Order: sequence, then structure tokens, then C-alpha cells
Amino acid sequence: MRKRIVLSNTNALEVQGLRELDAGLGETNGEEVIGQVVGLMGSTVDSLRAVEAFKTAQGWGLFRRPGLLVREESVALSRKLIMSEEGEMLRLVIDGERGTGKSLILLHAMATAFVRGWVVLNIPEAQEVTNAMNDYAPLPGTTPTLFSQPTYTANWLSQINKANTTLLQDMELSLTHNLPIPLQSNISLSRLCELGARDPDVAWPVFQAFWAELMAKGRPPVLLALDGLNNVMRESMYRAPDTSFVHAHDLAIVNHFVGYLSGERKLGNGGAVIAATNRSHAPKSKSLDLVLTQLEERQLGEEEITEKDPFEKGYDGRVEWALGVKDVLKLKGLSKKEARGLMEYWAKSGVLRKRVDEEEVAEKWALAGNGVVGEIERGALRMRI
Amino acid sequence: MKVAWLPTALREGLRCQFFARQTILNPRLRRRGLNASAKQFSTSIRLRAGIAAPEIKFKNQGKGEGEEEKIFFARLIPESPSYFTAQPAFTDDLLALQDLVRKYSTLPVVKPGEAPRVAWRSLVEYRNMVGESVKASKYHKIVEVLRRLNQIQPSLMPSDVAAALNEYKRDISPFQNVSKIAPLDEFGRAAGHGRRKTSSATAWVVEGTGEVLVNGKTLAEAFGRIHDRESAIWALKATDRIDKYNVWARVGGGGTTGQAEAMTLAVGKALLSHEPALKPALRRAGCMTRDPRRVERKKPGHRKARKMPAWVKR
Repeated sequence: MRKRIVLSNTNALEVQGLRELDAGLGETNGEEVIGQVVGLMGSTVDSLRAVEAFKTAQGWGLFRRPGLLVREESVALSRKLIMSEEGEMLRLVIDGERGTGKSLILLHAMATAFVRGWVVLNIPEAQEVTNAMNDYAPLPGTTPTLFSQPTYTANWLSQINKANTTLLQDMELSLTHNLPIPLQSNISLSRLCELGARDPDVAWPVFQAFWAELMAKGRPPVLLALDGLNNVMRESMYRAPDTSFVHAHDLAIVNHFVGYLSGERKLGNGGAVIAATNRSHAPKSKSLDLVLTQLEERQLGEEEITEKDPFEKGYDGRVEWALGVKDVLKLKGLSKKEARGLMEYWAKSGVLRKRVDEEEVAEKWALAGNGVVGEIERGALRMRI
Repeated sequence: MKVAWLPTALREGLRCQFFARQTILNPRLRRRGLNASAKQFSTSIRLRAGIAAPEIKFKNQGKGEGEEEKIFFARLIPESPSYFTAQPAFTDDLLALQDLVRKYSTLPVVKPGEAPRVAWRSLVEYRNMVGESVKASKYHKIVEVLRRLNQIQPSLMPSDVAAALNEYKRDISPFQNVSKIAPLDEFGRAAGHGRRKTSSATAWVVEGTGEVLVNGKTLAEAFGRIHDRESAIWALKATDRIDKYNVWARVGGGGTTGQAEAMTLAVGKALLSHEPALKPALRRAGCMTRDPRRVERKKPGHRKARKMPAWVKR
């Protein structure tokens, strides 16, 4: 019940003439869609639900079918994703104030990846990986010692399989693997995931085999996504044998993700690694804040870049390494045009029972702290008195 | 002056008359004295003065000075014919003013709305002034005549009318108290200050598109409650100008509610510099008046401001 996602509301009005989020979005048409809400196709919705891209507090249950507002940033991101199919992989951190739509930009990236035939691997809540709620075991033969999380990995494999099943069913094993379980040579990757999901003890080796297959030549691009970056940029709640805390980067799954985010390893067939930060009830990380500030200042071309505080002890070298060189997408509030498009969609859905005119939009936009989308929603839909 | 042989009832009157002369000549002094002790006397000095027959000169008093003898009246003759009306002072005043109207009826007048605004004395003040229980409707007659006199073209106002009007004007005219509106600076900014509880806010308002920054943060970051955000820009919202101005504010002290409501006043004052005509609308919206309430002090013997310790048997 706590994690129940309702994606449809039969009481809500159906919005006529809603565009679908298709593979062409961002490729040819972009600008004219900005500020409109696009619907998600049924298959995409199923896949997104399987990777837990929808969150409970996002208000999907207010509308007839899930839709996404196309923002300027999301079109730009779509373009980058399309470019990364051939060229260099995209490494991106999405940052922004609370309620600015970081998770939804991530969802937009995943939806784009699904419609373009990518394989999507999503860690929906980084907190669940690091807060010591799952079993864990040291991986033999690793220095420094990595810790695998068998149950979580098994569950993750089943999610990956469920979300990408149409793609994975068509892919057969192309490499030979040395796994603790017997393996037929001609099974599909979907079947491989199933085998891993069935037995937590072999989940991690199976995941590695699965990943090796994905990195093999001729496979589709891969999207690695993670929500709640703050939680993996610090020590986890797990304990090492000497009772010290295990750094989150020493957890096998996080280590895998961070290896690609830092640029140490490359995605063989193109693709993207995207992480979104969390700004509400998230642990503080001095290094993460510093690096994000510096990156943002560099992007803006500012002359003075924030320096490290020489008296601060809380910096973490591993975090700085993990956030090596890449883009940061700093989300701000919506533009007035986007806000208006969103509010018109709400009005058409019958959720917002007001005339959407310039004054109304300006008021909601200003009260939401210059268009912070979560606050607009709170002011317009949730705080109805 | 010998008054001893006069009837007792008149003695007092005569004595008062003797002393009252001075004060009649100086109306301000008379008024001040009356304001202080109007209730104590059953009749006013002026009323007694109204009895004023010419001063009685007795034979033995004027002896040796060669003064002519005056006629001695056994009964006092009232100074004014209005003495026998119920409120002689009032009647005299009204008649005097009506005389003025009649006298200057040919002078040009301004249009009804354009006469200078004057706050006339209140009924209570007038009663104290004349020492009679004048009815509101009666005093209203005087005020109507005053209004008519006030409509005379100011450049042609006769000095006796001006003097008569001054007599009835309130000592402090509230209409002269016009607050100054700070001008915009060279960048088109208007600054306003506001306070509420222990918070204070300064807001700079410029023409813009509705962006608000409070201490460098957006409205959503600065105020978690939507109610507070609405309070902060209430002046703009109440006048439908959210998308016409940008606000840059510094707030400090107190809590979030205090800071937000201090901003209400600050933004309202700053908005006035841009559009002075909005003042009535802003006043109605509550963006002009400082809320004077603050935390009540703790008292000795109490747990808090009002709370008393629980009763204990011994």
C-alpha cells in the first residue's frame, strides 16, 4: 500500500488530441512541443512501471492516463540522448531545488530510451541500496572488498527483465560465461535474467554476465539511471567485518554505476548514465555540493570557481572522483509558457476548475517560487480550499 | 464693586462676569479653561457673560473722580437678545455666521468638491466651547453654514470670514497630515519598509515580470507555507499586479509568519511609489497599517503573561 502506484483515474476527463511521446520527439520536432503535455504509450507505461520510475507522491492518480510536460530541458536532454546513440556516452547529473522535476526529467529520459529501443537499468531509490535493509556479502577476490547484495540484485534483475522483456527476448547469448549454475548456450538474455532473479546466490554473477552481454558488439544502447544520488555519495549503513561503515562505492551495484558515471568505464554500444539528486530529506554531502557548484559555475562560464574550504574535513575524495567530468543539468522553475501549458492540461483533465489566463498563471508561477513545478502543483491542485 | 445688596442669585453672576471679561476677549484661553472644567459649572462663563449688563458704577465708588453717573437698573438687562432662547451662545453663533453668508453671498464660490478640506470641531468640542447642551442637529446647522462659507473662492476669502472659520476648525487638521511618497531612484526602484511582530523587511520593487527573491532565495525556498508566500506578495496580488513587478527583499528577525507579513507592508509601501493612486486599495487589502500587536510581557507571580501557577492547598 505504501508503494502503490495509481496511474489512471476514471473520474478524470480524457484530454483530446494529446500527443504521444514517440521516438521522433527531440529528433526533428522539439520546439513546437515545448510547453505541451505528451501522453505516454501503453508499452512505455508498463516498462516504466516495471523499473519503478513512477513515484507515489507524483500525482499520477489525478489523471486519466500518465502524461509528461515537455520542457526546454527535456527536449535538450532528448537531443543529447539521441546523439549519444552513436557518439560518446552521455554522463549527466540532474540537480535542482526541491520540486523542480528532477525525477520527472529522469523519467522523461527513461521513456525516451524505451521508445527508442534502449535497454534501461534503473535504480529507483538509491536509499534502498545503501540503508542496510538488504542482505549483503563480501565478493571474494576483490580489493578493496566489494559487497554484493544478493536479494536486491535478484529483484533488480527481474525488474530489468520485466521492463525490457521485448528487447531481451530477441537477444541470445553471444559470449561464454563462467557461472556457478549450468547455462545453455542459446538462451535469451531474458531467460538469463530470470535465472539470476530466481536464485539470489547467483544473482550478482548472473548480472555481470548479463552486463557483459549488453556491452558486446551489436547490442542496443543502454541507459543507466539512478535517483537519489546523495545517498550513494557517502558511507552506507552497512558494516564491514571490522565494524566500520562500508563506503557506498564499495557496494557492488553502486560501484558498477559509479564506474560508468565517473567515465572510468565506457558503454560499448553508446548510451547514457544519468543520476538525479534528491533535495528533500537527503543526506548532506560536502563533496557532492562542492562539485555540483563548481560544475554549474563552469557551465555558466563564471570567472571565479568556488574553491575547496581548506578547513573543512568532511570532503570525500571518492565522491570527487566519481563525479569526475560530466555535465550537470541544473533545473530551475518552469517558464511561464510551460506553466501555462501544464495548467491548461490540468484544466482539460478537470482537475483544475479555474479559467487559465495570464493572471492566474502569473499568480501561481510567482507563488511557486518562480515556477517550481512541484510548488505550482501543490498550490493549484493540492491546496484547494 | 459692591454686590452685597443685590439678590443672592445675581451676585454670583456679576462676580463671574467681572472676572470673565478677560477670557472673553481671548477665545483660545477661554476655550482651554472651559475644556478643563466644563462639567463642574452648571452655567458657563460665557453664559454668565451674556447676562452682562454694563458695569454698575456706584455713587460712593466714583466719588472724587468726576465721573458721570450712570443709570442704575434694578434688573439686569441681557447683553444679547438671544438670552431668552434655550441656547443663547449657539443662537448668537449661528446668527453671526448667517450674517456673514448674507454679507458675502455675492462672492464667487468653488465647485462643491473643490473646496479645501476642513475638519470642523466635533459636537463635543463645540459643546465644551459654548458650555451649552447643543443638540447634534443644531450644530449641524452651524456646520452647514460653515461649509457654505468655506466654498468662497479661497483667493477672495474675506478676513472676517477666515477668522470665523478658524474659530470652528479643529486645532489639528488631519487632512494636512499627508505622508510623503518616496520617489523612485535612477534605476526605477522603489524601497519600502515594513514590520510585524519582531520581524522587519525591506523590499525593493521594480517593474518586471513577477519574479520574487527574498534574501536571495525564491519565494518557495524562503517560505514553506503557501499562506506565507501569499502574505509576502499580498500587496501585488490584491491589486492584480503580480506579473507587473519584480520584488527583491531582505527580511530578518522573528519567524516566518512575521517575516512574510512584514513583507506585505514593505511591498505595499514600495508599490505606492510606483502607483500612488493604489493607496485606498492597498489600505483595504491591509497592506498599509502596521499591526501593533506583539508578545505580551510576562508578569511577576504568573507563569507566563496570563497563566497563574496552580492552586496548592498549602
